[in-house]
Amino acid sequence: MIQGKHIAVSGIECICAAGLNLKDCVDSMFSNIRNVATPSGFSSNHKTVYPVFEIPGSSPFLQNPQIFKTGQLALEAAHGAVKKAGLDKKNLQQKRVGVCIGTTVGSSLNNEKFYQEYRSGKDPDMAPIKRFLRSNPADLIAREYNLSGPCQTIVNACSSGTDAIGIGASWIQAGICDVVIAGGADELCRVTYNGFISLLIVDSSPCRPFDVSRAGLNLGEGAAIFVLESEKSLTERKIAPSAFICGYGSSSDAYHLTAPKPDGAGLKRAITDALEESGVFASDIAFVNAHGTGTENNDRVESMVLDLMLNGVPFHSTKGYTGHTLGASGAIEAAFTSAFLVAGKIPSSIGFSKKDPELHSSPQAENKQIDGNFAISESLAFGGNNSVLVIGRGSEPL
Amino acid sequence: MRIYVKGIGTAGGFGCGVEKLVSALSNGESRTKAVTLGVKGKAEVEAQVFVTDTSALFSFIPKKSLRRINNYSKLALLGASLAIEDSGIKDLDRTRMGIIIASGYGAMNTTFSFLDSVIDEGKDEHASPIHFSNSVHNSAAAHVSILMKIEGPSLTVSQFEMSFPSALLTARRWLEEKRVDSVLLGGVDEFSGVLGYCGQRLFKKDDVSGIKPFEFNKQTAIPGGGAAFFILTRDTDNDSEYCIIEDVSIGKLTTDKISIPEDSYLFIGADGNKISGQKYQHFLNNKNIVAAYSPLYGSFPAAAALDLAVAGVSMKKNRIFASPEYSGLKDGLRIIKEESKINHEKICCLKICDHDEYALIRVSKNNS
Repeated sequence: MIQGKHIAVSGIECICAAGLNLKDCVDSMFSNIRNVATPSGFSSNHKTVYPVFEIPGSSPFLQNPQIFKTGQLALEAAHGAVKKAGLDKKNLQQKRVGVCIGTTVGSSLNNEKFYQEYRSGKDPDMAPIKRFLRSNPADLIAREYNLSGPCQTIVNACSSGTDAIGIGASWIQAGICDVVIAGGADELCRVTYNGFISLLIVDSSPCRPFDVSRAGLNLGEGAAIFVLESEKSLTERKIAPSAFICGYGSSSDAYHLTAPKPDGAGLKRAITDALEESGVFASDIAFVNAHGTGTENNDRVESMVLDLMLNGVPFHSTKGYTGHTLGASGAIEAAFTSAFLVAGKIPSSIGFSKKDPELHSSPQAENKQIDGNFAISESLAFGGNNSVLVIGRGSEPL
Repeated sequence: MRIYVKGIGTAGGFGCGVEKLVSALSNGESRTKAVTLGVKGKAEVEAQVFVTDTSALFSFIPKKSLRRINNYSKLALLGASLAIEDSGIKDLDRTRMGIIIASGYGAMNTTFSFLDSVIDEGKDEHASPIHFSNSVHNSAAAHVSILMKIEGPSLTVSQFEMSFPSALLTARRWLEEKRVDSVLLGGVDEFSGVLGYCGQRLFKKDDVSGIKPFEFNKQTAIPGGGAAFFILTRDTDNDSEYCIIEDVSIGKLTTDKISIPEDSYLFIGADGNKISGQKYQHFLNNKNIVAAYSPLYGSFPAAAALDLAVAGVSMKKNRIFASPEYSGLKDGLRIIKEESKINHEKICCLKICDHDEYALIRVSKNNS
């Protein structure tokens, strides 16, 4: 693994149930508020109603029926991040700009109404198919800004957003792009709702990551976008970075489709690689934003690995504030991590109150001051992916 | 950085393995199969498609291990197994190997099977967990990593026609960064009846038989599925490689000036789709000798990986294969009409998508 430069972030924006911009998200988390409710965007006939973390459908940026909600979320976050970076459509077109976005639902052709009509022998309206074809989130952003660089939509399940930022940073590192718009976006939908419930890993109450009584995850939706920028481009524009992507590590468990490897070997390697690439020591890490879904298996493996590799480093899960936003979660949590480094504090792991004696370590139960310039954001995913970012402190990202 | 192609595994309508691909290239033939699109007895339409028989996978992986694995993942496993076998590398360090899969549509059939599980009884609680977990795009990469014990990073990319070139860009970065020592890179798409039906509804096919990649103003696409996998490394051991991947560039036709060296063959990814097909016309001139091989494997996003496989095979065999179909080609343009010895050191594979995005993969012979 070659030690790389720390890649500057010139703008970050985030939308999720915790808030419709990064500042509101951070403020609500430090106030320990969680906006969890029964689904309003779709109906289901499960006997139990499972709570979700939804973005109000009435939000002004969600009114375009021509594209998936995932795409609309990605675009809104991209507009915010580009604006914060002090860029616009015109000056982006003068640079070599790539787009790298993680998602799950945003790349899935799974329209129930269309399929139901198709299988009943009707000729269904093709609008849902056309909507799918124009909704690939990376394509969508590239088209919106008329960008000329490489475009990649990453569909790595729940680590997609983390991977997209790591790969986007690599494009800057290699000089392939001057700017990369990177992040993740995902929407709540009936298909994932039914799917996760079928796996018996959804909590019927608000989730409780790392708690002894934890009973699974809650689904959420959102998007977070980072504007990654080369040193040369930033220097020319005289912009102070909001954060740095210092290192990225990723590995496979090669163990099971939906369960993490019990010894955490894959996660250990991802952390090791991310630290190695960043040149940052474990002792320099101020805190860890854990994947912390609230599922039995995830939290067990993650707490064990954190205890082993980053013993004593405070960690927390923010999924109690956002739900599990799947392909967006890695980017959303990287955005939070960047903001918390600047704030010098992390919010409590909401939902956690009682230590699990079987877990090796426990998250922060209260808001906590932190001190340091680097933090880690972790994502574990279906398929056994483990992806980790080492993030460096910049100036005000809000 | 140059990257070396050490092994290739291909599967498609032409059969399984590099030799079947070579045979199809030499004969200019590949088989399609008649299927019914739409729902039988109702809105049904007969169509020809390219489908892949994955039964050869049982010679690599026990049937028992494949019980719950869907067609999409089987295609990936087959391509991956063939590529690893083809590389002949016995001591491939799988802890230092990464896997990247590019797919335009992912596990389409399993996604619809999952919807069936809910729709059949009208009860959401009947949703199938097996179908759900296998419908996720990265399930194929997961099965490959689990069954082949590949512990490096795993990535799945879905960017329609640009999926494979953009995945290659990342494979190259992983090798440059020394994140891994080798990458198992593949393109996979399965045929889905629903997708075939959508294609018929959205694009009216002209009344011609077979894909006519140079009839740019006609819709002649034939859907299909298949896989092409590659073992990529940054190191060479003289001449055992298929070829060297010199460069992959991705950009916009509207802003970039694409440079195709005069001393290279040009393989175009035209596959009978009229919208993207028309955009290739501007790159045909009397300097480059061109070919399009989609008539041998069909029209699907991951077929860009098969174009690269043909380039690799051509370099290794030192043969350039006839373009299987060239009706509609304008006078004065140079096309590969007969199989012959290779005369150029380079091949460029050009893929263009509907939104003016392009990818150019430059491949050369390893003369070291």
